[in-house]
Amino acid sequence: MQTWDKRETEVTEGKSSYVREGVPSYLDERRHSQVGRSVPKVDAAAKVRGEAVYADDMTLPNMLYGKIKRCKEYAHAKIKKIDCSKALALPGVFAVLTGDEAPNKWGIVPHSCNETVLAIDKVRFYGEGVAAVAAIDEETAEAALDLIEVEYEPLPALLDPFESMARANEVVIHETNPDNIAFHGNQIYGDVDKAFAECEYVLEREFKTGMPQHGFIEPQSALASFDPHNGRLHLWSSNQVPHYLHRQLSIVTEIPMSKIRVTIPTVGGGFGGKGEACPNEFAACILSRKTGRPVKITYERSEVFFTSKGRHPCHMKMKIGIDKDGYIQAVDFDNTMDKGAYASWGVVVMFYTGSMVHLPYKIPNVRSYLRNVYTNKPSSGALRGLGGVQPRLAMEVMLDEMAEMMGISPYELKMKNAVVSGYTAANNMYVPHTEYKRCLETAVEKSSYLEKHGKLPFGKGIGLAGGNYISGTAYTLYQNYKPHTTVVLRVDTEGGVTVQCACTDIGQGVDTVIAQFTAEALGVYFEDVHVVVRDTETATFDLGTFASRLTYATGTAVKAAAEPINQKLKEIAGQKLGCRADQLIIKDHKIYSMYETKKTMSWDEAVDIATSTVGTLVGVGHFSPPRRKGIDIVTGNRIQGGNIGHSPTFGFSCQIHEVEVDVETGRIRVKKVTEAGDMGTPVNPMAADGQVEGSIVYNMGAALYEDQVIGADGRHLNPNFHDYKMPTSMEMPDMFINTLKDSYDPTAPFGAKETGEGAVQPTFPAITNAVYDAIGIRFYQVPITPEMVLRALKEKKEKEAGCGA
Amino acid sequence: MYTNEFEYLAPTTPAEAFELVGRLGSKARILAGGTDLVVLMKDKLTSPEYVIDIKNIKEFKGIKYELGKGMTIGATTKISEVQYSEIVQEKYPALAYAASQLGGTQVRHMGTIGGNTCNASPSGETPTPLVALGAKVVLSSAAGERELPLEDFITGVRRLDLKEGEILTRFILPEPSPKSVSRYTYAGARDAMEIDCVNMAVNFELEDDKETIKYVKFVLGSVFIKPLVSKEVPALLIGQKFSDALVEKAVAAAQGEAKPISDVRASEWYRNEMVGNLTRRLLKEAFAAAREV
Repeated sequence: MQTWDKRETEVTEGKSSYVREGVPSYLDERRHSQVGRSVPKVDAAAKVRGEAVYADDMTLPNMLYGKIKRCKEYAHAKIKKIDCSKALALPGVFAVLTGDEAPNKWGIVPHSCNETVLAIDKVRFYGEGVAAVAAIDEETAEAALDLIEVEYEPLPALLDPFESMARANEVVIHETNPDNIAFHGNQIYGDVDKAFAECEYVLEREFKTGMPQHGFIEPQSALASFDPHNGRLHLWSSNQVPHYLHRQLSIVTEIPMSKIRVTIPTVGGGFGGKGEACPNEFAACILSRKTGRPVKITYERSEVFFTSKGRHPCHMKMKIGIDKDGYIQAVDFDNTMDKGAYASWGVVVMFYTGSMVHLPYKIPNVRSYLRNVYTNKPSSGALRGLGGVQPRLAMEVMLDEMAEMMGISPYELKMKNAVVSGYTAANNMYVPHTEYKRCLETAVEKSSYLEKHGKLPFGKGIGLAGGNYISGTAYTLYQNYKPHTTVVLRVDTEGGVTVQCACTDIGQGVDTVIAQFTAEALGVYFEDVHVVVRDTETATFDLGTFASRLTYATGTAVKAAAEPINQKLKEIAGQKLGCRADQLIIKDHKIYSMYETKKTMSWDEAVDIATSTVGTLVGVGHFSPPRRKGIDIVTGNRIQGGNIGHSPTFGFSCQIHEVEVDVETGRIRVKKVTEAGDMGTPVNPMAADGQVEGSIVYNMGAALYEDQVIGADGRHLNPNFHDYKMPTSMEMPDMFINTLKDSYDPTAPFGAKETGEGAVQPTFPAITNAVYDAIGIRFYQVPITPEMVLRALKEKKEKEAGCGA
Repeated sequence: MYTNEFEYLAPTTPAEAFELVGRLGSKARILAGGTDLVVLMKDKLTSPEYVIDIKNIKEFKGIKYELGKGMTIGATTKISEVQYSEIVQEKYPALAYAASQLGGTQVRHMGTIGGNTCNASPSGETPTPLVALGAKVVLSSAAGERELPLEDFITGVRRLDLKEGEILTRFILPEPSPKSVSRYTYAGARDAMEIDCVNMAVNFELEDDKETIKYVKFVLGSVFIKPLVSKEVPALLIGQKFSDALVEKAVAAAQGEAKPISDVRASEWYRNEMVGNLTRRLLKEAFAAAREV
């Protein structure tokens, strides 16, 4: 890797911006040199050169290729018979696997896990796997699939959650849930009815969201190698939660976790879609055990679509009450979600939609009725910003509408109600730090929102929306209170600095961020750090990549792990320099007295002495999130699902979108986006800006273009990037990202919070509000298709003509 | 995702190609850019025993223009070459623009103009302007050549009037009338990698008064099993003075002639609305351009 010019970091010390007003620099904990540096990501060069190794790039000696036979006839059917004899007889076929050989159920949430590796007795969605083969090459494996004969007895396909509930007496998708309801919960905080009665402004609306999926470029790929001599299993897979995968592999294969190793090669995007195990992983492992040879299974794009666990389509009712002074007093929220075929992250996402209503505004009374309903569609699961974006659409669109009712600017209404640092929500969610108001102020000022809103010509519009997201979770998905992340740091003259942690970079940049944290914590340069990650055997425990948790979690653990190493080096330096260890600072490869900077020695010399006298220095650090109870803060009553949504801290974002609507085609084009975000300290500002731009484009896709279409018979109609339309470079708006560079969360490691999911939250409503500003039509549904726009314009025209006559 | 096993043949002369195509008949498929054929083969929608790659035959590619005589475009000419050709841009702007809106950059550098026609997808970009511009196809075989108007060559969805042994070798475009203009427009969800839900092209000429319509050929794509040559729109427009009221009649006529379907890309209702709105947009654009000639 090309070495970044170290002089660049050294000269920053002389810059005035380096000194915070009123704080002596030697006492300033915000005086970072490695955190806050814009450095190229550690894997950038390899990716650009095409040298990064993804799972499907790998081959092992004697490796076989696996393929999965899928049900392409029905979305819901009983399996009467599977005959694999012809496939097994095909030369080159080594093994066939059917569901009954691996009956243990798996799922990310243990209490609701209900998937099997391959369907047993019944298929519940179009494209579900019914058998798998391992063969000498992919062509043979594909040919073998055609020789597997499956007899089905079709069942009615339930494709809508309301239909599914209504017809439960006649068709049941899972025997365990005779009402077809996967999960439901009521969360009542305060007295909503009383509050509404006292409100001056009350509005109720219904919303609907589409069924986007993740759109990662690299399809799932898994390579498994079972060693029959020692009973050990090694899996390389494109996955973002190696620990949860590890755990579920053990449950399904009945091999102890200590004999399973999970390694994650370079991952080509996940966005939540690789946030649980996937059938190809289990099938590869079991086929490898059956054949004694390594087996690789890589999905085709259509398989990614069939098995995708995308965003839950939500049918929401929201009612908001605002008092005469403009303060929000109550929110009533009712959410019917489309679970699809299997449980997946469903219970978590459902309760998140309830908890997300509580921020980023102060709302004393909140009531949520939530249900998540099985249908014969692709399962819904985790997708970037899960549980947040649907209720955020509802609330931000309604506040826009209510501001108009009240005759004030949406900006004024939002500023008035915005949360501040130290806020405790009605559900006991605690916000230690927020700059949300400054996000609103900055975006409004930079975009000239107030000058433009309501004043642009017909067809052009500007819309404002805000949002927030958790920066890590408080609980594991299975009952356990172990630390969520463990980091081991190793320092010696041979290896230099090594950080070990099984955290998983899926493109969001944790490999780079953990190296910056390590460098900062040990007083060396980012370029000095070796990163050992993504492996359950060679790296230490981490819970996984989800809930925007890794910046906070790894930062905390790195800081703790650095302490014993720094202590040892300070003791060594103190002896040589003749001063107390606790008066020494380690920074930029130097150890010096904070009072007399001429008392200094090089860090490398201290490491040399340490290595020669006591040997390699090792530090271990853990991260355990603060626990908060899911209670009503007024009554103290325990609320069902109330633990879900708590986070050590939160990131915030405000977006202002400017759109143009082509009134002849109904097409909406986002022309310009002005964003201001509070992510605490931006650890790598260059990468963080990229994350924010990515977030905006990501949900612009699902706001205007992306939707999975399921036919009347349950068939997936667009399982390809041809007809599942993601925005291309031609659709990119101009973006102005104004991250608050001086934001600092004093409770967070190095002051840093999340940004990977907070910045997706405002996009749906900001676009929707801008469309209203452009053409005077308020949409309560995403994606807003050209057809919806054209129909609405036509209706509006007819209505206006009708009024005139 | 894997094609069947096939034999790949790559003739370098027309004679070799005609011999192969004549001998192998329906057992073979002709490969040009491959942007459609290879996808179909991977999806096993077609599984030929032989694939005859004709892109090494220099006689089948290239753009030739002779003033007063018109243009010939070889069937294996890349879409990008049509897009960027200055003479195509000057003489047949509707075709150059349509080519520029096909697929994405990579697809345009692989795909060929002959392939876009022979794929015979109703939503194909280039057949619409080619028909509007009066293009003929030349179908060649060992026995000789025949010419056919493009609208007669495409007979339906993925159906061609291509006899066994024949290869589409070139398009012949007549010299455009010096006062005529051609324009193309389309509707789709995004600006690249799009499959049009409606497209249309017009070849348009005014009388010397710059008001009266002298000639119109108006063609709609993606709303019928093949490029739809409007009969009613020219009947309404030719000989009339251009006006908004006249355009509205043409809009209604075009909507009446179009036979769109509902599918995953758009509903019949939306396509029909688009036929109307785009007809209006295109005719006005063509009129404005024709007044400037």
